[in-house]
This record gives sequence, C-alpha cells and structure tokens, in this order.
Amino acid sequence: MRNATRIVFVTGKGGVGKTVVAAALGRYAAERGRRTLLLETAPDGGLAALFERAPCGPEAVPVAPQLDAVRVDARVLLEDYFRRTLRFAFLAERLFASSTFNALTAAAPGITEFLLLDKLLGIAEPGLGRRRRYDLLVVDGPATGHALKLLRAPRNVLAMVPGGPLSQTAHRLRRLLEDHRRTSVLVVSLAEEMAVRESIELCECVRDELGIRLARPVVNRVFPRRFSRAEAAVLAARGAADPLVAAAEFAIARRREAERHVAQLRRALGENPVLFRQLFAPRVGAEDLAALGRTIGRSVLAEGEEAQA
Amino acid sequence: MIAPLLSERRLLITVGSGGVGKTTTSAALALAAGRLGRRAAVITVDPARRLKDALGLDDLSLDPHRVEVEGGSFDALALDTKRAFDDLVRRFAPSPAVAERIFANRIYAEVSRELAGSAEYMAMEKLHELVHTGAYDLIVVDTPPSANARDLLAAPRRLSNLIASKAVPLLQAPMSLLSVGQSTVGRATLSALLKALQRWTGLQLLDDLAEFTAAFEGMLDGFRERADEIAALLRSEATSFVLVTSPEASTVDTAIEFHRDLVREEFPVAGVIANRVVAFAEPVAVATAAQRWEEPLRGKLLRNLAELHALSLHDQAALEHLQSITGLRLLAAVPQSTEAPTSLAALGRFASQLA
Repeated sequence: MRNATRIVFVTGKGGVGKTVVAAALGRYAAERGRRTLLLETAPDGGLAALFERAPCGPEAVPVAPQLDAVRVDARVLLEDYFRRTLRFAFLAERLFASSTFNALTAAAPGITEFLLLDKLLGIAEPGLGRRRRYDLLVVDGPATGHALKLLRAPRNVLAMVPGGPLSQTAHRLRRLLEDHRRTSVLVVSLAEEMAVRESIELCECVRDELGIRLARPVVNRVFPRRFSRAEAAVLAARGAADPLVAAAEFAIARRREAERHVAQLRRALGENPVLFRQLFAPRVGAEDLAALGRTIGRSVLAEGEEAQA
Repeated sequence: MIAPLLSERRLLITVGSGGVGKTTTSAALALAAGRLGRRAAVITVDPARRLKDALGLDDLSLDPHRVEVEGGSFDALALDTKRAFDDLVRRFAPSPAVAERIFANRIYAEVSRELAGSAEYMAMEKLHELVHTGAYDLIVVDTPPSANARDLLAAPRRLSNLIASKAVPLLQAPMSLLSVGQSTVGRATLSALLKALQRWTGLQLLDDLAEFTAAFEGMLDGFRERADEIAALLRSEATSFVLVTSPEASTVDTAIEFHRDLVREEFPVAGVIANRVVAFAEPVAVATAAQRWEEPLRGKLLRNLAELHALSLHDQAALEHLQSITGLRLLAAVPQSTEAPTSLAALGRFASQLA
C-alpha cells in the first residue's frame, strides 16, 4: 500500500477557513513533490480564487506546479449517472425535469453524497491497468452537518441496501474511509465557543462512530499574544480611559479567551491542535497560504507517513 | 430602528450563515419585545449548551419555557431536530399502530435523521403550532444555519412534495402504472426510470420506500395544508425577515445570497443586524495618549491599536459593501464583546444594544 493515493478530508463549522486550510495543505504537498488534487465541494469558486484563478469546473485544471483543482457537484454527478443509465438522452432530460425525480433525490438520504464519494473512489483507485494520477487528494469539504452526511453515506447505503453492485461500492468506500493509512479527516476550528463545541462533537463522531482517522485539528485565526502578564498588570492599573489601554485590554481579553477555547479543545481531544494566527490583512495572500501550509503540512503529511510505514 | 419592528410585527425570522450569533440575536429580539410589553416567544434551533442552560431549556421538553430577564420576559423553545420529527409523526399519524410501523421502517430511520431540510422543516412546523396557540403577539424564529434561503423556504414543501409526487403510485404499484394508457415514449421513460432505480437500489429498498410513503400518505393532506399556511404566513405583512451577519467576508457573502433569494421569492426583508463588529480609532488620533507611555510598551500599544484599527476598517468596508449591494438598512451594529452572551445578564445587555 506504499504508493496508494491518500485522502485528506477538510471540514469544520461554516466560516472557519476550511478552503484556505485545504488550499494551503495542497500547495505544501505539491511543493514537496506530491501530485495533488484539490477538490472543491462548494459552488462559490473560493478555492481557485486563492490561487488567483477562475472558479474550478468539472474538469481538473492546474493551479500551481503539481497541483490541480476540480469542483465536484453532486447534482451534476447524479445527472451523469442517469444519463449513462438511460439509453436515450431525451429520456434523461425528461427525467431531470420531472418533479418525481427532483423530489426523490432532494429528500432521499445519502444518494448524492454517495455519488460524490464514488467519484473520489474513482480517482483514488482508478482500477486495473490505469495509472494513478495523484498521490494526494485534498477535499475542501462541506461544513460539519453535510460532511457527516457524506462520511456516513456508505454505512447508510449498506443499511438500506442489502446486496448488489451498489452495496459492493459502498463496502469499498467504507474500507477506503476507514483505512487509517490512506484517509484522514482534518477538522478546522476557531478559538470560539461554538466552533470548539462543534469541533469536539465532530471529531468524536468521526473517530468513534465512523472509525475514520483524525488528522491533528487546526485552530484558525487565533488572536496573537502581544502583552506579557506583567505588561497586562501595568495596563490594568492605568485604566481604560486611555484609548490605547482600551484597545490593549480588548486584545488581552480576546487572547485569553482564545487560549481558553484552545485548551478546551486540547483537553477534549487529547492532543495538541495546530494553531494558526489571526491575519490582520484584508485578504489571504500567497505568503499567508505558504505560512499556513508550513504550519499544518508537516504534521498532516508526516502522520500519514507514519501510518503507512 | 428595531423598536417599530418589535412593536408591530407578528413574526420575525432571522436568517444568515452559522456562527454570526443568530440564536443569541433571536433571543435578544424576543427579550427586547418583551421589554416593550409584548408577549414574545423565540424558537431556537440547536442552541449552544450554555445558552440553552441560561435560558433554562433542558433536553427533555419541547414546550416553551418562560425566561425572566431584567426589564422583561419572553418564552423560549429549543428545537431538537432529532426528536422533533418523531414527535411530529406521533402527533399526526392516523393511529398509534401506523406510527409504530413508521418508526420500525428502515427508510424512516434514515430519513428522520438525515431528511434534507428536516431542521428547517421542523422549525416551520413548530412555528405553525405556536401561531395556532394564539398565545403570542410576536414570534421570533431562529433558523438553522442553512446554506441558503432556498433550502429554508422550500423545506415545508419538500416532504409533502416527495409524497405527493408520482413517486408514490410508481413505487407502490410499479407494474400497474405501465398499463395505464400512456404514449410509448411515456411508458418507456417510466420503465427506464424503474429499472434504473431498481438496479441502483435493489428491490427491497423500493418496498421499504413504498411502505413508508404509504404510511405517510394518511398524513399528507395535513402536511400540505400546514405547508400552505406557513407559506402564506411567511409572506404576510405582519412578517419580516431579518438578516444577521458578522463582518467576516464569508458571512457577508452568505447574507447577500440570502437577500437575493428572499427578494426573488418576494419575502419581506426588514434589514440587517451586524454582530461582532470591531471599531477602534487609528493610532494618529491617539498621539497625545501615546506620549504618556515609554518603550517598549508604547510600541506594542501602538502596533496593537494599528492592527485593531485595520480590522475595524475591514469590518466597516464589509458592512458598507453589504449595504450597497443589497440596499438594506443596518438595523444595528453590535460591537464585538469579549463576553460570550450565554448568561441572562449578558443577553440583557445584548438586547439593550438592539433596541
């Protein structure tokens, strides 16, 4: 299994910076010689924008040396599936337009998620006689709720469908997800109450309910420590009428709170999260992406190597 | 600007992405309305543990709970989406036997956990229930952090659509449908659909789905009626949608999308509330203050202020961008506070920032 394609699935609460983390990780891996594919699951094109490219489409395109990006749209995958299955194109179009089809796929649990994973499987395990195109797949995944739905899809399908080709694929998917040497879930959080709570629940779910390996979690936008305890005491004595002191107190309180939340995460998960600092510039630049990549990349890629050896 | 909304509306619905303080804002709006003398209730969805505790909501009850804060009171209710669906089935099943059949059904187990839009659907169903009690002058609905307005607004119809659609007769009596007088193409389409579904899922799945939809058919009219009533309620003049955002780029983008969807569907949007706004002056403005300090502390203080000022400019620009694209009124800009608003006292202070 030494050269099997690895998958890192990046997820977390909405707005924590999943896309930036996924992009940074992809860039880091590519720079270290791994052929990497970034998969975007959201429709907003944010991933390509970090590399100053036009939004990704359904065909993989290079965004940096050794780094490609693609967008996977569950709806498109579903339509592709039925287009292949129904022999006549016009039948397929009638089907997509029908309220029956739309109602079923909108409410049916797990089918579109399952297709997304199937696509991932197709890239990771192209089959006999086909060359693997990538060493690493980094999925810029959906937020917690949808991500869990995605990761649970193989089990759900197996629970509903006792046998047949579908359940065989579901078995393969389950094996891939639960293979600690190949797949890991990277949870991104903020140093904030709700994000930490959600991250803890998510990590426990992924690890305990689904048996999938967790990469070290990343805490993003951690407010920097600027003042020493001695300095903080001096400031407190001076009083907040001074606007400089007011701003400092704000920063100190923010930092204290951030540390508290990080500690909570550390205690709950029993391991040290990787911290990345708050950026004060309006946009995430290439340098920031590189710095973030260095911070998290080493731990994520090294873990995998330990697991593979 | 918020006070008139609180005194005149019967329904306020807060929308926006996750992590912007929607739940706290919703509770604070209900409290502010209570302080104005109105009988107000807030429906929250999966609130943070500490907020839930502060509001006195335990995990067992789905009923509203009276919350008393300095100057006012309101009723709060937390929707536990996992249990709410079971509750719904129990209430509306034509008989306990049917309810049991549904609970035992394999499809139901998956559907109730993961039905697309179930959290949104449950919020709307609960809203309908509260409106019918006539106990409140104003109900504030905190919506789940949906990806978009479409999920939220389509939710009441989604379940009834599934059942009402031709999927039901198709799945219950597949072969009979083919003998109904239809064109060759029509029959070929149906036949192809069936084969694809059966190959895809295996016959047993279809049996389970058929049984599930059959059991639900008895409740279909009720679901549809309520869905229609809710839809009418959402569009009435006594309703306003309130966008909640933070200055973060991703949440502002979500707010803009929400606004676009709401406007397209012709829902009334009253304005936007911005939370966690950072506002600090620029360092030149505090030159005199700086003179009182010595290095290295002075340098640190100035650098700190400069960075916080940069954040403030960013926040200001983000909110201006939001307002210029949507034309929405900024109903309130609540400063970033270092206290998490999870105590009743903190909630009271938050409400004072709003109205």
